[in-house]
Amino acid sequence: MDRAHRGRRVTEPPLFPKGQRPQVFDDPAVDQLYAAYVALATELAVAFDRIDTLERAVIEGGELSRERLEQLSLDALQDPARVAQRTQLAERLLRPFRMFREARIAEGKPLA
Amino acid sequence: MPAFNTHAMQPTASHDEQARQDFVGALRGHLSGRIMPGAYRVYGSKVEPAFKARHGRPPADHDEVRQLMTQEPFYQFWSAMQRRSQELLWESVIDPTERQLPELIARAKQLGDKAKKSARKTRRGTLLLDPKLEVPRYHTAADIHLQPGGYHTDFTTDDVAAGVIYDKGINLYMGGALGPENNLMGDTLLAYLREKHPDFKPRHILDMGCAIGNSTVVWARAFPKARVHGIDVGAPVLRYAHARAEALGVPVDFSQQNAEHTDFADGSFDLIVSHIMLHETSKSALPRILGECRRLLSPGGQMLHLEIPRGKTAIEKFMHNWESYNNNETFCRYMTVIDLHAEALKGGFPSESVTVDEFAPKLDVAQMNYTESFFWKILAARR
Repeated sequence: MDRAHRGRRVTEPPLFPKGQRPQVFDDPAVDQLYAAYVALATELAVAFDRIDTLERAVIEGGELSRERLEQLSLDALQDPARVAQRTQLAERLLRPFRMFREARIAEGKPLA
Repeated sequence: MPAFNTHAMQPTASHDEQARQDFVGALRGHLSGRIMPGAYRVYGSKVEPAFKARHGRPPADHDEVRQLMTQEPFYQFWSAMQRRSQELLWESVIDPTERQLPELIARAKQLGDKAKKSARKTRRGTLLLDPKLEVPRYHTAADIHLQPGGYHTDFTTDDVAAGVIYDKGINLYMGGALGPENNLMGDTLLAYLREKHPDFKPRHILDMGCAIGNSTVVWARAFPKARVHGIDVGAPVLRYAHARAEALGVPVDFSQQNAEHTDFADGSFDLIVSHIMLHETSKSALPRILGECRRLLSPGGQMLHLEIPRGKTAIEKFMHNWESYNNNETFCRYMTVIDLHAEALKGGFPSESVTVDEFAPKLDVAQMNYTESFFWKILAARR
């Protein structure tokens, strides 16, 4: 989530650091794909950690049947918290694209 | 990663926030340990031999290496990943900080109030901010290390976020190698002073560009009888530094000042230190800062600046300069070629009093648990 959404802020903290943005590859789209790829890897690591934590908790706390797990998953799909979480994931993954776009706007460069 | 000590000014991390920080740490460890060495191999086995075959000589300097290496797919891959890992590092620390910011600001105020109240009975630290201080361009032109907003921007009243973010951020940046209280650089410079001048007992110490006071606290602990000052241009990092030092029970006087021209009287200090500050300044600021050090030192006083060696070969210098082009350390690439001895002379120090050393501290067992010994550059001079 972006800084501006949190805390009681007087002015919005920036989405990206001030300063020249390096372009490594000939096509800036490749830079953006790399950035998104690393963000995706991070979120995957977070999900793995969470699955591991949950599995440990289930093993420690007793049994959970297959049917119950399926039922819980179906209910959870509509859970507003789960929906919000998906939105947040999309935000995190797409952050690099917003960052490049807004940095270009800030520098007064065309978006293409 | 080695343990990081907790204190009252640190935010807690939720499960996912912690997982994100842990992954960023692991990713950076992998990038520096397993991927980056590959760039040196690409240079040694392909780029340099091909250049020699064409021109009959190796690349002349780091700029020539730069023209060649930035075209190499392997280097491009590492560079893009490294840049993104740095951005993710800040994002992973910003999230828990923003979530708890109102409480962190309240806690900083409480610690400050407590220090003021108990100042009559015991010596406590102080904080003096200067809202009129003009933050130099080398801070405002680009956010150093890509920390959004830099070290100097307040986004709300009594903001401490930049300090909170910096503290955990540099811990992650170095994979815990700076020690449980980000103390390694202070420890290193202290070890240098004790090796060179074992009997020196400073009474008035100034730490320039102190940021969150992680090194300042090391000096205050090492010389409990001394009065220790920390200065920086950033208000939010100083608010945090003051609260952090109070939470750790170490008295330090922090004030918002520019190291190029402070308001201290001539000869106020017998020891002036800085820790990786010089390379964040500028060509014109550097000699002014060293001149200010000379003005502030009492006769026989000692100046010690800790810096990062910038490599010896052209490829090493080029790889160090990555920070300059990709991590908003604009002045870094000039530090690669600057003669620090000559800069100290411009500052008014007599030549025979100036030394530029490479120094690796002898580590104790506790330090070996979080870092390996590596070389630092130290500019030392005596008035």
